[in-house]
Amino acid sequence: MTLEELEPKAREMIGRYEQPRAAALPLLWLVQDNLGHISSEAEFWIGKQLAMSVAHVRELVSFYTMFRMKPAGRRELRVCTSLPCQLRGARDVLARIETHFKIRPGETTPDGELTLSEVECLCACELAPMAQLDEHFIGPLDGDTLGLLLRGSRIPDPQPFLSTGGPVISSRFRYPDGAWFETYLADGGYQSAGKALLHMTPDQIIEQVSAANLRGLGGAGFPAGRKWSFVPKSSPKPRYLVVNADEGEPGTFKDRYILERDPHALLEGMLIAARAIGSHKAYVYIRGEYIRPARRFARAVEEAYANGWLGKNIQGSSFDLDVVIHRGAGAYICGEETALLTSLEGGKGFPRLKPPFPAISGLFQSPTIVNNVETLACLPFILRHGPERFAALGTLRQGGTRLFSVGGHVSRPGLYEAPAGVSLRELIYNHAQGIRNGQRLKAVIPGGISAKVLTAEEIDVAMDFDSLTAAGTMAGSAGVIVMDESTCMLEALLAASRFFAHESCGQCSPCREGTGWIHRIVRRIWAGKGKPQDLDHLLAIAGDMEGKTICVFADAAAWPVQSYITKFRSEFEEHVHTGRCPASREAVACRP
Amino acid sequence: MSDLVKFTLDGRELQAAPGTLVIDAAKKAGIEIPAFCYYEGLSLQAACRMCLVEVKGAPKLLAACTLPVAENMVIETESPTVVDARKFTLEFLLTNHPLDCPVCDKGGECELQDMVFRYGAGESRFTEIKHHVDEKQWSPVVFFDAPRCILCYRCVRICDEGMGVKALGVTNRGAYSEITPNMGSHLECDECGACIDICPVGALTSGIYRYQTRPWEMDHVGTICTHCGDGCKTTLGVRNNEIIRGNNRDRSGINGEFLCIKGRYAFDFINHPDRLQSPLMRVNGKLEEVSWSKALVAVAQKFSEIKAASGKIGIIGSNRTSNEENFYLRKFAQAIGTPHLDHRRTGDIATLLDALSGRADALATAEDLYTAQSVLVVGADLAQQHPFLAFQMRANWRHHQSRTFVVTQGPVREDAFATRNLRAEPGQEIDAVTTLADDLKSSGDLIVVFGDSIRGDSLRKLVSFIASLGVPAKYICLLDYSNSRGAFDMGLIPGDGGMSAPEMLAASDLDALWVVGANPLADAALASQNAFVVVQDLFLTETAQRADIVLPAASAYEKTGTVTNTCGQVQRLSKALNVMGAKPDLDIFHLIARGMRLDLGPAQPDKIFSEIRATVKGYDIPLPVIATGGAALTNPVNGNVPHAAASAALVRGSRDTLFTSGTLGRYSPILSKVMEAPGGLYRK
Ligand SMILES: Cc1cc2nc3c(=O)[nH]c(=O)nc-3n(C[C@H](O)[C@H](O)[C@H](O)COP(=O)(O)O)c2cc1C
Ligand code: SF4
Ligand code: SF4
Ligand code: SF4
Ligand code: SF4
Ligand code: FES
Repeated sequence: MTLEELEPKAREMIGRYEQPRAAALPLLWLVQDNLGHISSEAEFWIGKQLAMSVAHVRELVSFYTMFRMKPAGRRELRVCTSLPCQLRGARDVLARIETHFKIRPGETTPDGELTLSEVECLCACELAPMAQLDEHFIGPLDGDTLGLLLRGSRIPDPQPFLSTGGPVISSRFRYPDGAWFETYLADGGYQSAGKALLHMTPDQIIEQVSAANLRGLGGAGFPAGRKWSFVPKSSPKPRYLVVNADEGEPGTFKDRYILERDPHALLEGMLIAARAIGSHKAYVYIRGEYIRPARRFARAVEEAYANGWLGKNIQGSSFDLDVVIHRGAGAYICGEETALLTSLEGGKGFPRLKPPFPAISGLFQSPTIVNNVETLACLPFILRHGPERFAALGTLRQGGTRLFSVGGHVSRPGLYEAPAGVSLRELIYNHAQGIRNGQRLKAVIPGGISAKVLTAEEIDVAMDFDSLTAAGTMAGSAGVIVMDESTCMLEALLAASRFFAHESCGQCSPCREGTGWIHRIVRRIWAGKGKPQDLDHLLAIAGDMEGKTICVFADAAAWPVQSYITKFRSEFEEHVHTGRCPASREAVACRP
Repeated sequence: MSDLVKFTLDGRELQAAPGTLVIDAAKKAGIEIPAFCYYEGLSLQAACRMCLVEVKGAPKLLAACTLPVAENMVIETESPTVVDARKFTLEFLLTNHPLDCPVCDKGGECELQDMVFRYGAGESRFTEIKHHVDEKQWSPVVFFDAPRCILCYRCVRICDEGMGVKALGVTNRGAYSEITPNMGSHLECDECGACIDICPVGALTSGIYRYQTRPWEMDHVGTICTHCGDGCKTTLGVRNNEIIRGNNRDRSGINGEFLCIKGRYAFDFINHPDRLQSPLMRVNGKLEEVSWSKALVAVAQKFSEIKAASGKIGIIGSNRTSNEENFYLRKFAQAIGTPHLDHRRTGDIATLLDALSGRADALATAEDLYTAQSVLVVGADLAQQHPFLAFQMRANWRHHQSRTFVVTQGPVREDAFATRNLRAEPGQEIDAVTTLADDLKSSGDLIVVFGDSIRGDSLRKLVSFIASLGVPAKYICLLDYSNSRGAFDMGLIPGDGGMSAPEMLAASDLDALWVVGANPLADAALASQNAFVVVQDLFLTETAQRADIVLPAASAYEKTGTVTNTCGQVQRLSKALNVMGAKPDLDIFHLIARGMRLDLGPAQPDKIFSEIRATVKGYDIPLPVIATGGAALTNPVNGNVPHAAASAALVRGSRDTLFTSGTLGRYSPILSKVMEAPGGLYRK
């Protein structure tokens, strides 16, 4: 394959977008998928195709971690060492892999067979400790599976636990290979979309969704109907629906299952939302590591086009909708909605200032609604069964159920659909079957790594947005990370702080410098070289980062620091003063 | 106006137009809100978080650089919370900063240093080991010291938005973010140095100024760049009779902060080792150094002899000497009765003025280029040949969405934002232009900028076509050097029966050729074997090598006077330093005249300028404007020049690029280094 041979395909890709530059990530993927890496010659070539300066192409290659400037081995193994995997032994797994293949992360075996890397959360914490081998997610990498991996044998598809009983979303998860068009239709699929397109006005849809108390399930919990109502009714500009499938919050793994097992539910939800806001073009931004989910979703899109549920004049309603799938390339921050839009436009994932809010000026400076996958997947249920039924499933101000991703030290990590107001205790002890090996609970992060930690005494709390906010933490993405008494909170903070240092976009000085600074102090304490003033400094730095930046990432980076240190201060102090870990009782620090 | 917004800033009741940013509103009220990433004229970044202010009722501090004032808003810019936040932001910025101020070029004018002084943050809690990265040389001009960088993105934005070059990027992310040049390890770009001057700290430094001196040890002299015809003001930093740097940070002059590589750095020709220090005289066929008096006597004698014998004396003047010098030279020619006077004409201003037939307001300035609703460029590569005018057009498009139309032979940088761009061979541009009629009619007021291929009849056609559109239109006739326009206005053109420069060179019976600051023999031969040749120049050019007498001249940076830029604006030269050996051309003229016992009136620049004001059409400009460093627009009218004398066929542009500048360019070490540097961005 040569660059010239890629040109027709490149032109086709550019044609999908309103502005050539938006095809930057697709073109980078095109080059890397076909030529193995992105050479500097390829950077110039892409610059030429998109009328972009090579300096700006190179920015992208270096910003997104999945792009590589040098060839990699025949196979690529990406081992996750983020907190949820770390809790289940990821460090040992990585160490064994390193010893076996005699390479370190970032290196390739001398025979060019395998490239190893260490990555942040792949959002498959139900498989922890897990890794990605080429496009496959594999795990848990304990005993047998790790053995297969080291021997190079085929690894069977993992079978983690997940809800299949609904009521709102998970019922079609029972099809391991996905509910494809026929199945979906047989299940009553596309009835709600038909209703929305043929029998409802946009205002009626918005009213119903508002009455259902559907909150944004990407993390912020903003009422979906209200957000849609901000889209200007009369604007000469096109309106866009953008689906946030950049699932990245450590501890969360729900959107992947919707994309893989129930893609038509998302598509139907998109049709309903598009109709409500008057959008005729939708982009689905899927995180780069989700290769199989993206492929499966693409298949559903094809089916929908073939069956007249996408494209022009859908089902004779004279409503048009086109869907473009856009792949990310390894940057957590692109889950933040404005960063996602910048990235979609062909930039680095830099969050933008708000206002203007995307609903007024978003993608290509046009009114844009960004919704999470799960939020949209709830819509068919609401229109089919009525907003009252949906609302009744939840709490007073948050309707429906949620997909709770439960990982860490529970007996049965998995994805559980439960009412929005389920208690944390119930989730841990009933759904996930309690703490593994009969250990005692020490701490829980209820809403993805950005949420403040709760102690074992604080788990009698409902999991809806408002209750968790009242409890001083947040529901976030509903990624529940459970830690038992063997957990070293310093080590947990080390993982969290490394994540934030790795993922800060680097735009704002407090965030860029603060995340790096925090991580270095925590790492030093962990190495047994803590100083008496360190803990106060950490708290002060976190305080100085909070509320001062373009997006809330910096706040999210501050919260773990504040909550872990405040709630487990004596443990941290012991680390600082003795250089030893009280939790793991190891001689020097948690790890030498 | 009733629709002003009322707000309170630090307890003062103020008003501003809706949409005004708090940081600008504060500045207007005399309150300086600290800012690193905010920069007037560049897009908003809001990244440094230095400008946070407290707004009553807002849950968080807000960035003043992106916050528009709102009715009844109550803003505190120095409350304890705000001051604390700034201190912390500074502390964050200093975490990876080497704090090597004592050896840093920026020491003394560093914005970070100033802020730390203002807000403290001296006692850092940061005790981790700092990343050390070695300083890198990216190009002959640009050096980068990564640890000093505070990632304000000013450099990236000025290069993207201001220069349109887009040579810089920020690679990686988070704490590993780093400014990176377009070629990975080196930079290929305009080498304008804008990024260096805009850098608030000492992260970007110039190969010219690095480690030379400290800012407070220099005197600053504002004068006019001697290279292209755009007439940028450059402020020269002078120490011990040596120019150390050029910049225009005070935004005085028509160009604001803009300077291209030539205005910012290419003053270095003045110290070239080949610079002539002493007059030369041909003795036994070879040029030998002689004293000034000997050389001047020889010239005066020989000229007097030829004059007495009614011989033919040809005079070729300069595109870079001052108006006063050119005016005086023309008087000289008249006094010795020779009509054979000329200069190299780089654009057909003569035909333009004639075709405009008396319209007094039809000439545009660079400022107009920034405000016009549309601009048509015909036959010129502005980014290469008129960097400042190109900059103005880009800024107009960026800030006011002006419409740009381009008709050129090859691709040009303006294509990137042109509403329409057409390619046409030289001579065929007008046909292409006429196809734009509908676009031009609907684009509002228009400025037409044209190069040397548009001359004579095609220029007349262009003017009548534009007139037929019925939109207000103004013109810029591109002229290539710092005083090409002045040379024409001062009448360095043949008198009745006089020969043009090419004719002089071709005349086998020419008795004397006097060349001032020009190098006609670079690409032509002198037919007259016996002509007595006198050359005034800075260097031993091809023409000087043929001379019988060479008189070393001072450069524009070494004298006073005025020059007229390509748009017809008069500006004043200031003398930055004294020269050894060489003399200003005016002094040389005067000494020769004295030797010939000619009375040409006073020879002081300001006295000559009074004469110019009184006698040259359109030059009756207000003195205070130029006295205070401003640019005064001349107002030429039809009939200024006997048109026949200004034959359009003689018009020939210099073909200079961004990195060349006639003879001076060849002797500029920095331009030579750039030309020799790797890469072929502009040097194919
Ligand atoms: C740092 C950060 C990361 C985020 N990551 C995600 C994400 O991975 N997926 C997601 O749907 N929303 C994410 N969000 C929330 C989005 O900004 C946005 O609120 C959401 O996509 C809106 O959709 P919803 O209203 O349907 O939840 C993130 C927000 C922040 C600040
Ligand atoms: S807070 Fe951090 S992640 Fe968000 S924009 Fe600023 S630097 Fe980027
Ligand atoms: S010198 Fe000028 S062109 Fe080169 S990188 Fe700096 S700003 Fe851009
Ligand atoms: S090099 Fe200078 S101008 Fe550029 S980002 Fe760094 S500090 Fe700012
Ligand atoms: S644009 Fe022309 S006048 Fe301005 S600095 Fe460059 S060479 Fe000098
Ligand atoms: S000046 Fe406002 S954030 Fe930098």
